[in-house]
Amino acid sequence: MMAFRARRLEEAKRLSTSNLELLWWVFMRVSGVLLVFLVLGHLYTRAVLLNFHHDLTYDVVARNMSTVTWKFYNWLLLFLSILHGTNGLRYSIDDYLPSPRARVWVKVIVYTLVFLVTVFGTLSLWAWNYTPVR
Amino acid sequence: MYRGREGQWAFYLHRISGIAIILFLALHVTEISSSMFGPKWFNALLKFEENPIFGLGLVGVAALVLYHALNGLRIILMDFTSWGVKLQRQLWYAVWVVYVILGFPMLFIMLKHVFVGGA
Ligand code: HEM
Repeated sequence: MMAFRARRLEEAKRLSTSNLELLWWVFMRVSGVLLVFLVLGHLYTRAVLLNFHHDLTYDVVARNMSTVTWKFYNWLLLFLSILHGTNGLRYSIDDYLPSPRARVWVKVIVYTLVFLVTVFGTLSLWAWNYTPVR
Repeated sequence: MYRGREGQWAFYLHRISGIAIILFLALHVTEISSSMFGPKWFNALLKFEENPIFGLGLVGVAALVLYHALNGLRIILMDFTSWGVKLQRQLWYAVWVVYVILGFPMLFIMLKHVFVGGA
């Protein structure tokens, strides 16, 4: 199963070596559109409205992550960007690493790290209780 | 594949920004999620990140994200519309016009947060 680079949907259908690969091609586009809103919304609320450099504290983060709406927002942002970004990384690995052995090893390492980060992020969103200090 | 010089630049910038963002994302999720370990640890970590280097790093990541998002939309338009392919060069310039319009105020505000804000 090789990643491919297509410029049109019809071309993608023709070039794809498997249905799964075509699905990833479509996913990159669908998640891309959703990520525009999620990522730019995240930047706007966390980096423009909030002084991210001076006013970020434990309380700000904890309060935010204990709100159900923001839990969902952040979780969707986390999942879509992890899948989109990791699949993108796979395209580069396939493009630049000619040796199949090296490819497998790099992928095993990358996917393991990504998995750990995703579990850690999901845990922090769902598995804790926050009681406001103030 | 990609025709013309603009397309080649667009492709490399898109690839480099995408890889940089996923690397940043891994660090960023780890950092924010470590708030699980409690206020003592987390506030100490944030204190360490008060160094302007980190603030400027975030400004840089935001700049990459904005490019990747706008050029990503251009790719999607080219993939799903016939006029998108015909106008790909014009769309590339449109990306930069929107980039400046959205990016300039963002840059200004973020730099202000890093260098002037704070209680
Ligand atoms: C903000 C909205 C975003 C849009 C509209 C977008 C759009 C796209 C598109 C259309 C592609 C091309 C896929 C292909 O060649 O089949 C792509 C590739 C990629 N994206 Fe995104 N993306 C966005 C956000 C992100 C984020 C948040 C990350 C990182 C976590 C990311 C990482 C990547 C990577 C690594 C690639 C592969 C680059 C390559 O193979 O040349 N993107 N993106």
